[in-house]
Amino acid sequence: MKRIFQHPTAPVTGKKYWRSLGQLQDTPEFRGWLEREFPQGASELKGGDVTRRNFLKLMGASTALAGLGLSACRRPEKHLVPFTRGVEWSIPGKALFFTTARPTRNGYAPLVATTYDGRPIKIEGNPLHPASKGATDTFSQASVLDLYDPDRAKVIRNGKPADSAIFEKALDEILKNVGDGSGLAFLMESDNSPTRERLRGEIEKKFPNLTWAVYEPLAGESLEAIYGAGVTAVPALEKADVILALDSDFLGNGGDVATTRAFTSRRKVTGPDSKMNRLYAVENRYTVTGGIADHRLRVGASQIGAFALALANEIGAATGSAELSNAAKAIPAPAVKFNAEWVKYCAEDLVAAKGKSLVLAGPRQPIAVQALVAAINAALGNLGQTVVGLAATEKAAATIADLARAITDKKIKALFIVGGNPVYNAPADLNWAELQKSVETVVRFGTHEDETSAFATWNVPLAHYLESWGDGRAADGSYVSMQPMILPLFGAWSDLDLLAKIAGLPKPQGPELVQETFKQLAKPTDFSAGWAKFLHDGFLAESAAKSAPLTFNAAATAKFVTESLSLSTPDDKTFEVVFTACAKVDDGRYSNNGWLQEIPDPITKVTWDNTAQISPATAKSLKVGDGDLIEIELQNRKMEIPVIIAPGHADGSISVQLGYGRSVVGRVGNGTGFNAYPLRTTAQPYFAVGAKVRVTGKEYKLALTQEHGTLEGRGGDITRVGTVEEYKADPDFAKTMGMDAHIPPNVSLYTNPPLDDQHQWGMVVDLNVCTGCSACMVACQAENNIPIVGKEQVANGREMHWIRTDRYFASVDENDPDPELVSQPMMCQHCENAPCETVCPVNATVHSEDGLNVMAYNRCIGTRYCANNCPFKVRRFNFFDYNQRKIEDGGLYKWNLIAPKGTEDTIKLSKNPNVTVRMRGVMEKCTFCVQRIQEAKIAAKVAGRDSANTRIPADAFTSACAQVCPSEAITFGDIKNPESSVSKLRESERGYRLFEYLDVKSRVTYLARIRNPNPKMPGAEKVGAAMKSHHGHGPDHDAKAGAHH
Amino acid sequence: MAESTVTLETPAELERPPLVDNKRSLGWITDKVSVIVEAPTPIWWWVAFVPCVIIALIGLFCIGYQISNGVGVWGENKTVGWAWDITNFVFWIGIGHAGTLISAILFLTRQKWRTSINRAAEAMTIFAVICAGIFPGIHVGRVWMAWFLAPVPNANGIWPNFRSPLLWDVFAVSTYFTVSLLFWYTGLVPDLAMLRDRAKSRVKKFIYGIFALGWRGSNRQWRHYEMAYLLLAGLSTPLVLSVHSVVSFDFATSILPGWHTTIFPPYFVAGAIFGGFAMVLTILLPSRLLYPQLGDLMTRSHVDKMAKIILLTGSIVGYAYLMELFIAWYGANQYEKFTFFSARMGIDNPGWYAWAYYVMMFCNVISPQLFWIKSMRTNYIAVFIVCMFVNVGMWFERFVIIVTSLAQDFLPSSWRHYSPSTTEIWTFIGTFGIFLSLFLLFMRFLPMVCAFEVKAITPEADPHQTKHDSHVGVGTHQP
Repeated sequence: MKRIFQHPTAPVTGKKYWRSLGQLQDTPEFRGWLEREFPQGASELKGGDVTRRNFLKLMGASTALAGLGLSACRRPEKHLVPFTRGVEWSIPGKALFFTTARPTRNGYAPLVATTYDGRPIKIEGNPLHPASKGATDTFSQASVLDLYDPDRAKVIRNGKPADSAIFEKALDEILKNVGDGSGLAFLMESDNSPTRERLRGEIEKKFPNLTWAVYEPLAGESLEAIYGAGVTAVPALEKADVILALDSDFLGNGGDVATTRAFTSRRKVTGPDSKMNRLYAVENRYTVTGGIADHRLRVGASQIGAFALALANEIGAATGSAELSNAAKAIPAPAVKFNAEWVKYCAEDLVAAKGKSLVLAGPRQPIAVQALVAAINAALGNLGQTVVGLAATEKAAATIADLARAITDKKIKALFIVGGNPVYNAPADLNWAELQKSVETVVRFGTHEDETSAFATWNVPLAHYLESWGDGRAADGSYVSMQPMILPLFGAWSDLDLLAKIAGLPKPQGPELVQETFKQLAKPTDFSAGWAKFLHDGFLAESAAKSAPLTFNAAATAKFVTESLSLSTPDDKTFEVVFTACAKVDDGRYSNNGWLQEIPDPITKVTWDNTAQISPATAKSLKVGDGDLIEIELQNRKMEIPVIIAPGHADGSISVQLGYGRSVVGRVGNGTGFNAYPLRTTAQPYFAVGAKVRVTGKEYKLALTQEHGTLEGRGGDITRVGTVEEYKADPDFAKTMGMDAHIPPNVSLYTNPPLDDQHQWGMVVDLNVCTGCSACMVACQAENNIPIVGKEQVANGREMHWIRTDRYFASVDENDPDPELVSQPMMCQHCENAPCETVCPVNATVHSEDGLNVMAYNRCIGTRYCANNCPFKVRRFNFFDYNQRKIEDGGLYKWNLIAPKGTEDTIKLSKNPNVTVRMRGVMEKCTFCVQRIQEAKIAAKVAGRDSANTRIPADAFTSACAQVCPSEAITFGDIKNPESSVSKLRESERGYRLFEYLDVKSRVTYLARIRNPNPKMPGAEKVGAAMKSHHGHGPDHDAKAGAHH
Repeated sequence: MAESTVTLETPAELERPPLVDNKRSLGWITDKVSVIVEAPTPIWWWVAFVPCVIIALIGLFCIGYQISNGVGVWGENKTVGWAWDITNFVFWIGIGHAGTLISAILFLTRQKWRTSINRAAEAMTIFAVICAGIFPGIHVGRVWMAWFLAPVPNANGIWPNFRSPLLWDVFAVSTYFTVSLLFWYTGLVPDLAMLRDRAKSRVKKFIYGIFALGWRGSNRQWRHYEMAYLLLAGLSTPLVLSVHSVVSFDFATSILPGWHTTIFPPYFVAGAIFGGFAMVLTILLPSRLLYPQLGDLMTRSHVDKMAKIILLTGSIVGYAYLMELFIAWYGANQYEKFTFFSARMGIDNPGWYAWAYYVMMFCNVISPQLFWIKSMRTNYIAVFIVCMFVNVGMWFERFVIIVTSLAQDFLPSSWRHYSPSTTEIWTFIGTFGIFLSLFLLFMRFLPMVCAFEVKAITPEADPHQTKHDSHVGVGTHQP
């Protein structure tokens, strides 16, 4: 369409003004000239249809085509509009938010993806969904980096590269050979997608005898025999007053966002009268759950059964439950003895809170322990109260062991392995690599070409969840949608694409498969409106699983207990080996994710490796220290692994994280850690006894982000802790601890320039609910384009995290084997009287009127004086050009003048466009997410239009760390706005600021941790005692807090 | 009192030793000073110079590598942001104190013994400040942006931060360097003229002539010269005290325990003089050996006097160390206490750097106490050994202050051990190469003793021909 410019006719009255003689004469030439907005050159463009709009379209399109790598960055053409078409709702540079969901082994995590120009760059929780309320976990945060991983599988391969058409043809051939399906097998990851179930049904119609196996290396036992078929027992933590966790890390890797939220909802303290729950933890190693517990008992994982038995005896006697007593009596008393008082008073507390107590056994424990715990909960009247039943969301499937048998029997002709990595992580006794080799055709769908791909006939790239259509069920059973943000970057297939193809349906181009399922499940009256709302909200309203009654099967339970409860007696010569999920790479699936590799383990603070955690006493007896390599031998299978001394660890027990030591992995995961899967068998997936340890005498360099783990008697200053009783006696106890108790008010000679903006930003961190899970660290990394620096540089003390979680062990007696653990998130405190600002010689770090300590990267020359003068050591320096240089293979040390420079194109796509990517030689640190503040300010200005009211409404937005936190430990906002949550929390009597005596006037307030010990318990007097440093007013005025680690 | 007789004779024990031994004549002094420059280059000079230049080049290569790749090639980390770089800076700046002190303060206080050593000491000052200046220049992350430190009017309207001690440093050090250079050069002019007049080749004549600025030794020129030299001495004197005070502000004005100390300015100045004199002796004692004729000009009495200054300033430094400990205890601030008693002295601490603290204590406080004994002060070997201890000790003093305070500060979570990288070590060694190369060039091409001033303190130069000089005039010259 050609736009004709009509020059406005001049008013006829008054003098006639003209701008040129041409205008005055109004010649046709002048009119022609006027029609062209660009007088020079516009007519040279071919085609007569050149308007300004078309010109810009062409320019935009050619720029997009010219962009290196950007040609792969596009949305599905068919259903979504490409950006070259400049659609109405898309404003370049403004984020668009789409709901989606991420498959996990515990159901789908409901999410919202932030996209810029078609690139998802940040993941948040879906605030509308009750299972998320905007919060997410570490893995969801880091999943966006997996999308852009340059090491992803990129081509379909059958020995040599092939394409989709060839593969589809081959697929037809393969399916011809499997007959009625008896030769066809699938090995899938756990996934409760209804569309997947529907397609499985379709395939089963075609191939009724197929084998459908699901393998999750870290899944627990099915408890259907105890609670009834089709029912999942779920803890209702929000209802429990007293909780006992037996080897259950329900706040860490054993749980999800919803369990953390449910638990911490009962740890929120608003005043001395707030009622808190009480948590007892029995575990072999410190977990984040044990770290927040009020009482903790160190017990080997193999002794948990014996402990449960001792507890069952106490509770059976106290409640008079014949079932429990009988079940407990049927087995001989175990040799191992626990602190009798601990068991007694813990049982007493649980019984006193009958119906409101909860005993949790980690899914890591064998079925017998699960059964015993179920019986205890039944005796305590907790079933239906704090343990509720939900209809199961996933249909039964064969196990990997069943599949292995079928392969051994030579039944399987074609095996489809979708996701997972069985060659690496299948139980060692299956000898999976050999089995897989014996299958005629193995079709492998994987995000990466890994160990399993090496033994597959066909390798097909598997799409990332941000690239595919799908659906699933969240932890509460609600039906959630998964929609793509971007076309598969490397032409990958999703699992649904494959299943549809096998079912004989065409490979879908869009959401048709999911729409079909949606129609069946939601039965919408108006499909397009219902579907649009489903995608918009991210889930179907009122679709949460119906609560199903728990039919506790006492007889089956007793049978499990009496027949299979194994009570091993620990001896001094051998060790117990405990295999744990890694808080960073999980079962190994995130090995190539740099963000996850580089966040420190919440407890050990080790990055880039796994370790053998052992107690200080065990280390002493083995004469090893941090980084010494030991060889663990278990039933003639061996592995080497470096030791780390873990305070609070059970003696004679070794905890080893799974997920490391992979042999075929990308550039990030290469050479990280040691593979523990070879020690793991079907029968003993989580712990095994009788391991022998040999000290090799070799040393291994571990990269720790925190070298020093004790408080050095500074707990009263840094991490303030009180018990419920102390809090009641003196609600202001946190204000009178440490140095603050002694030092007169500061008087300053200097008056800082006024902080007079209408907004004043501040933060509150509640130590009472912070578990130390470190999700905030990854969220910050994703939001702020924080580079990873690699193991070598972490070992050199140069990690770049803007927020970190400090983990301290503390005890009054430094040789106490049971120290307390406290985690403290630490970020820039945005001091009003900032010590970093005065010392910067070039004014690169200055204060803004709204109370931010801001960094001008362009101005920074990198003297590092600011970091030296920062009492919190939160400033991070770009020692190298991390964004331009290879961090692996010593790339940082190759002479920059001749070494290659640059970043992978896909990594460039992952950056947040609102945050500068920093170059080497500049200092950086937490900005309180200044880009979000500016965005909110602009929004407030737009909303305010011409009025003077440009104030951002209270809690209208928050920082990345606060947003991700499942326990809402971090609150960010405007402290000048009396209605904001942060300004209310700042008033809490538990609030304290670090190092008031330095008069830095920090903008971050910490809320003291309140512990809820049971006064009768042994060791109750020690709870929180180590945090009253020798400057506090506690009874141990001169007590020196212990020195562990 | 009325009966007492005033003897004009000074008792023998109070007799001041002559400033020039063996009653050398003026001509002898001219000859023996000039011959160092005029004689053919000795073999030993090449033997010393070539390795020094090689070491200097290795250092420069390390600097190039560091600028190209980033500060990461050094050993610093998130907690220890400064280490060898600033340690070396303060070390060299400290050494650069003795020369100007000898030239300016001893000039104003009429210490005539200064004349035979001031030229070399001043040259050493300048070369040390050059070495010192390297480190703040290259330690920054973006060297090419270091001009932001200069108060240049610019389009952004951003000025340097005048509250930052680091900026004060820039001004203090650059001013000190400029004034020291001018002072040194001004003092050189009459001697350059002497070399010009004695030069036999036209090239030498021309070059020395250029730098002698047309000096003819006229009365008028001498009057101007004396005034200029006096003014520059007056200008340098406060600078000697201020530059190291300002350097100490880098630490004293911060809030870090171990840095935040009001005693720092006097303690740093005393330490600088201490270290500077030690370095002067370290350089001059071997020179004296290489040019035996200088023995008559730099006498045992000179060494004795300098040893006394080392003893005095070393004791001041020792007092400061002890006072820091006392205040850390008396102040009852647990962070201060930790820094001094645990991080430095290693009490109740893994003691990463306690050894460095004790090295510092021994070298700086204990070893100079030997100088209470006169025979030790005049024993060249003993003096040289003590001076080497002091050189080491003063480097460790700065290392202890900078690294131990940073490595273990407020939050134990951030505590971090630091160890230097090879590049870092070679950069420091390289500055010794630069320093010694420059000094060897100086010895070879410039008169290393201020001949005309030495002549002025010989007995013949005294117009009154009294044994003891009661002349109050400047009196540095007799034609």
